[in-house]
Amino acid sequence: MGSQYGLKFAVHLVTNHFGKIVAKVCETLFRKGPLSLGEIIRCTELTPEQVKNSLLVLVQHNCVQAYVPADQFRDEEESTVTVEYLALFDNVIHRLRFPKFLEIAKRQLDDECEKVLDGLLRDGRLTLKQMVERAVQGKENPGAIEAVVRGSFHKLLKAHYVERCPAPEPVVSTLIKAEPAPRKRGSKMAKKFEAPETIEQRVMEAALPGEAIRFAVIEYTGGNADREANSDDTIMVNVGDNSGGIANEGSILWRANFEEFIRHLRHKLLIENERKRLDDGAATILSAILDATKNVEKKVKIEKSVPLSLDSIFTEVTKNEYGRTMTIDRVRASLVQLGCPQRNLDDSYSIDLKNIVEMARNEEVESIVLKRFGGDAYRIFRLLSKSNCFLETDKIAELAIVDKKEAPRLLYKLWKDNYLHMEKLVVTAAKQSRFMLWKVNKPVLWEYVLDEMYHAALNLSLRLAFEQEKDEDLLHVSRDKLTPTDKSGEVNSVQKRYLRLRDVLFLMGSSLMKLDDALMLFHDF
Amino acid sequence: MNRLQGSSSSAKRKRELALVSDTLTDGERVLYNLILSKRDMGIWSGDMKRETNLPDHMVKKSLKLLQSKGMIKEVVNIQNKARKHYMAAQFEPSKEITGGDWYSEGSLDKELINVLKNVCVKYISRQKVVTRDGVLDWSRKSGVITAEVSNQQIEEILRALVLDDEIIEVKSTGYGDFENVPVGRVCYKSKSKGGVRGEPKDGAMSSIPCGVCPRINFCTPDGIVSPRTCVYYQKWLDF
Ligand code: SF4
Repeated sequence: MGSQYGLKFAVHLVTNHFGKIVAKVCETLFRKGPLSLGEIIRCTELTPEQVKNSLLVLVQHNCVQAYVPADQFRDEEESTVTVEYLALFDNVIHRLRFPKFLEIAKRQLDDECEKVLDGLLRDGRLTLKQMVERAVQGKENPGAIEAVVRGSFHKLLKAHYVERCPAPEPVVSTLIKAEPAPRKRGSKMAKKFEAPETIEQRVMEAALPGEAIRFAVIEYTGGNADREANSDDTIMVNVGDNSGGIANEGSILWRANFEEFIRHLRHKLLIENERKRLDDGAATILSAILDATKNVEKKVKIEKSVPLSLDSIFTEVTKNEYGRTMTIDRVRASLVQLGCPQRNLDDSYSIDLKNIVEMARNEEVESIVLKRFGGDAYRIFRLLSKSNCFLETDKIAELAIVDKKEAPRLLYKLWKDNYLHMEKLVVTAAKQSRFMLWKVNKPVLWEYVLDEMYHAALNLSLRLAFEQEKDEDLLHVSRDKLTPTDKSGEVNSVQKRYLRLRDVLFLMGSSLMKLDDALMLFHDF
Repeated sequence: MNRLQGSSSSAKRKRELALVSDTLTDGERVLYNLILSKRDMGIWSGDMKRETNLPDHMVKKSLKLLQSKGMIKEVVNIQNKARKHYMAAQFEPSKEITGGDWYSEGSLDKELINVLKNVCVKYISRQKVVTRDGVLDWSRKSGVITAEVSNQQIEEILRALVLDDEIIEVKSTGYGDFENVPVGRVCYKSKSKGGVRGEPKDGAMSSIPCGVCPRINFCTPDGIVSPRTCVYYQKWLDF
């Protein structure tokens, strides 16, 4: 699940969006792992009513998943089934990215799709009927609007940006090997953080609708079902009689499919990084490959792109304007640049995506090192990061051309701040000598940096709120008083403060979004 | 330190020294032989006292005399600059003592390094791509580099520039910029596309105060150091 500051940041987001009581329930679930209603009431000391309502809100917004632990059923005497609630860390953090999701829907689809998605993100879960009602409310010409909403909904569904909500309370086997059952929650913090990870996966897997119906619409107009089914990739499940269909329309809940948005953002990062590192050609090819195979990707974090033959890559590439200028030789050369020197045995190419992600992570961390520790430390860090093995102090000074007296000091500083791993080596030959060996331990460092990023995001967000609060009175001043009106362009003090606030909010807002890109880079990609 | 000293005169010098050594006292001879035996490593005066058991004043006096006769010299030892370190005159200090090619008088010759880095970066950025041999060739022929610098040193500079992320090492694909380079040959390419050298990269973390904050580990929402009271933010948001 999340790191220490990851959880703090998540709770901060929940507090901002849903208030303190809901946040308390959510925090308790984060800290203690899955709990039953009774347990939550006991732990939070809130009233049953408050807890129930909080859970409803959290479930509605996909931040909590309920499930029934299967091991209860073995106990024959137990007649009632207890439901447990599991907080979903990732989905809470995704709330920060809603503006990005909306932007994707707008760019890739259209404004109307953005509006429908916006409704889903605001309300968490909606039936198609509710989406329509939401849109026609107080508007003229409801018929036309309804058609637009339905059209947009289908587009979103076809692009997999919308999915059917998971089962409300699936039965899940919680017996996970080499791990305490959730009932016996360990007293150590570390255990609590580890346990939910695997349970979370299980619960989500069990709750997820099968691929076939996850993105399927129940057709509501029996008449033209066949025609539409042929013209549309979306799977139409024809339920036979109309009344059943309409009833379903009012009962099937839909929500935004975060996974698909994250996949889209990951692809974008991969493509743009290769464009920066290599050139437009390489980016075009990578983009074509990822586009062609995205529907067969099993999960977001795939390490290698789905294998594709040179012919199919070429066909995909020529769908793109820039791609049409490329010859097959050029395509092959770009594939080599992308790290596919030879094809696989079956004449297919597959690109090492994990490597691109790693490079992007390196770059982010290196820029921190440069700014925090300076140019010499930057060289040392890059040397160790690239060589990926232990190096001795003097050797490091030599290879990075850093003063031999300075190197130990810098290495120590980097080590003290957790950026390096160090081991002492004592050699007893003719003379006893001690060596210091240094290394960048990436998996550990990535985790550490991610936690620092959550911490930074929390601080940035708190400061943003503070800045807003400081100038709250400006929010009540009418708009036309805030922008300079007279021709001399002179600004009075209120206007000055307003202009400053505007700049501050813009800078902080865009920094937070950029920081969120980095959070995804280290957590979701 | 004279890196360019030739060896042609060393035979003549040896003969001269042999003559001088006849006039040494016993104490001086013992010391001289000890220093000589350490060859290009030299020896610290403290170690001499221990190894010869000569009294302090004697060692001091003898060292002065030997030095005035031009038989030994004092050198800077990179491992400990404060210690008096001596070496027989005919030896040049080893890398362990000087620190290597890049050191002069016991410290890193940063000026030389920066000059070399600058000219190399400029040359490479003019070239689009260039092979390692290309850089070496240019460094010998162009006359831009006036200091006495070995091929190995140029290679070390290139490696440091790669670590600085000023240039990148790429393998030739044989296409585009690499048209005239055999496939697979290691090449160097300028990194910045018109950017200023040494410009800090704008990572997500490095462009906000908390990302590079030395106090982040002490900073809590309600602590003494907190985002609300933070001076770094105050500076950052001071438009
Ligand atoms: S809020 Fe200020 S003190 Fe706290 S981590 Fe950020 S920059 Fe540092």
